[in-house]
Amino acid sequence: MDLWNYLEYGAWGLAALLALHMVVDWLRTDSTYSEDVLTSSREGEIEAIAEEHKAREARHG
Amino acid sequence: MAHYHPPRQGKASQLFDVVVLVVLTVGALFVPLWLNLAGATKSVTAPVENPTWESLGQNAAQAAKYEALGHTPESAHDLILARFDYSFSIGALVTMIVVIVLYYALILRFSEVEYREVISEKFGE
Amino acid sequence: MADFDITSQKMDGMGPHGTKVGLLRVLGPAHVWALGVGIVLVGEYMGWNFSVGKGGAYAALIACWFAGILYSCVAMIDSEVTSTVASAGGQYTQAKHIIGPLMAFNVGLYLVFAYTMLEAANAITAGYLISVVASMTGYAAELDQRPFIILVIMFLAWLNYRGVLATLTFNLVITAVAFSAIIILFLSTSGVLGGGIMEHAALFEGHELPYGWIGVLAAMHFGLWYYLGIEGTTQAAEEVRSPARALPFGTLAGIMTLLIAATLTWYVCSGILPWEYLGDGVDGAVAPLFDAARLSGSNALVWLLGFGTLFATLASANGCINDASRAWFAMGRDKYLPGWFGAVHPRYRTPYRAIVFLVPIALIFALGAPLDQVITFSILSGLLGYTFMPLNIILFRRKWPLDTIKRGYEHPFHPIPAITLLTLCGVTFFAVFLGYGTQLVAMIGFYIVVSLWFHFWRYRFVNRGAQFTMPWPKPRGY
Repeated sequence: MDLWNYLEYGAWGLAALLALHMVVDWLRTDSTYSEDVLTSSREGEIEAIAEEHKAREARHG
Repeated sequence: MAHYHPPRQGKASQLFDVVVLVVLTVGALFVPLWLNLAGATKSVTAPVENPTWESLGQNAAQAAKYEALGHTPESAHDLILARFDYSFSIGALVTMIVVIVLYYALILRFSEVEYREVISEKFGE
Repeated sequence: MADFDITSQKMDGMGPHGTKVGLLRVLGPAHVWALGVGIVLVGEYMGWNFSVGKGGAYAALIACWFAGILYSCVAMIDSEVTSTVASAGGQYTQAKHIIGPLMAFNVGLYLVFAYTMLEAANAITAGYLISVVASMTGYAAELDQRPFIILVIMFLAWLNYRGVLATLTFNLVITAVAFSAIIILFLSTSGVLGGGIMEHAALFEGHELPYGWIGVLAAMHFGLWYYLGIEGTTQAAEEVRSPARALPFGTLAGIMTLLIAATLTWYVCSGILPWEYLGDGVDGAVAPLFDAARLSGSNALVWLLGFGTLFATLASANGCINDASRAWFAMGRDKYLPGWFGAVHPRYRTPYRAIVFLVPIALIFALGAPLDQVITFSILSGLLGYTFMPLNIILFRRKWPLDTIKRGYEHPFHPIPAITLLTLCGVTFFAVFLGYGTQLVAMIGFYIVVSLWFHFWRYRFVNRGAQFTMPWPKPRGY
């Protein structure tokens, strides 16, 4: 066995480990939180806040 | 105008849509490969017998670089003489132009229809 | 459930419309620069030299500068639009607000494919580099590249999964190293620091334009490779602290960096390597800067450029995963794709499902397709995207003239950049046609089929008015 053979096995192992970590964390996250929370992100939310702010100011002003 | 309420999509239907997209994508890349239609290859049109650096059209400086890279005139022969063929038919060129223009025309047309609906709902009277 | 707090004032994206977990606003202009330049710089380390093969060294330089003009237009147009449309999804969201849903769907797919293919190309190159290192250190047998290709993709996907700040800080460091390596190579071989080894005149003699002027046109195809991906900076828009300032700044600084790097790269490589060798990226110069370093006779330069090449491929793949997943996520969030993809990780605040889903896709292409095909698929998707941009800016200025919405950046000389960009795209389509006409038609056939699929099936799941999220007035003419 050469150093590079060990490196090949090491790369396979490390890749599998990282993949496993992602998949486990993904499944755990999906089962811990409700789908409504996870997919609650909406585009332009920050801008929307600014807009409502302006609208409110206009009403009060 | 009445607001449009999209149907909720079930898990199985979502999965099916993803599979359709992936199959189309992989197909677009691999079908030209399978049909052997892909790629521009270079070829040597006028090979040189018993090549020397001079007969390959290389001056002293150029030859020195090839030698530094570990090449001999024999091993560099194909590398130096291979050329692309840029000839094409007008028919193929016209086909390409028509396909591209049609594609953008199609998208812009459908987008405009959908966009008017979006705007009228968002800024609804 | 203790990991997030609905009432937190520090978390962004906590809007009144229901965002409970959104992407995190943590990035500065330097990260935007690193994202843009990081994706592209690999193009200087490999791939651009195919343009030398297409038309000779001068043709490659002309292509380099014309592609530079093309991308300067892209950067200017993009900076203006994105300084107002600050959202993950970048050009996809721009298209949705300015042209319409079907265009947006197509643009989203251009982005995902351009980046995923580029990621695959990078992983292939990294695997190849490692095999070169193996044979340089005396390993006799053929190295199995697959585990290294997979490891590169897995590691970078994992990094992306765990958070955007660490991902792009990593990119900043390795991109800076790769860029410095080019500068150092230039300084030490050009004679600026003594001992120049440039031989442009002698190397060009008799080979000025080997294909004549049509070669210059053909070279435009791979001329794009010097800069391809700089437009990806807009994908970070939802994670940048002040998008209206940081995005134009990072993007324009990025294109300037690349113009310098591209010209230096051409200068060094064409002054050291004969054009036939340089122009053949398969049997000749796979990694031209690395080859130039080998001929310089300095071991230090060989190692520096070796690491530079590896870092550039990693930075690029890393940025590609970041951008492709943002675009995929944004489309999922709008139900352009199954809504399941629109999820944000509650702790890492990343679009984790999109990241995980794109891993096997990238692996299919990295392990199953030849490099030049993958590159061409990427370039074509990019090119279709650049053709969209002039249409985008013309309609943007027409529907919302300058006085109707405030822009963080206004690009000068409108509509000259748009017209220039459209013309150069036409030239590049012709260049691609000269070599890869079949793929071009196959590719557009693919986009026509998915467009019909979207219009007649998928669009029913999309909320009509709600997808227009920018606080803009009603567009002119509607």
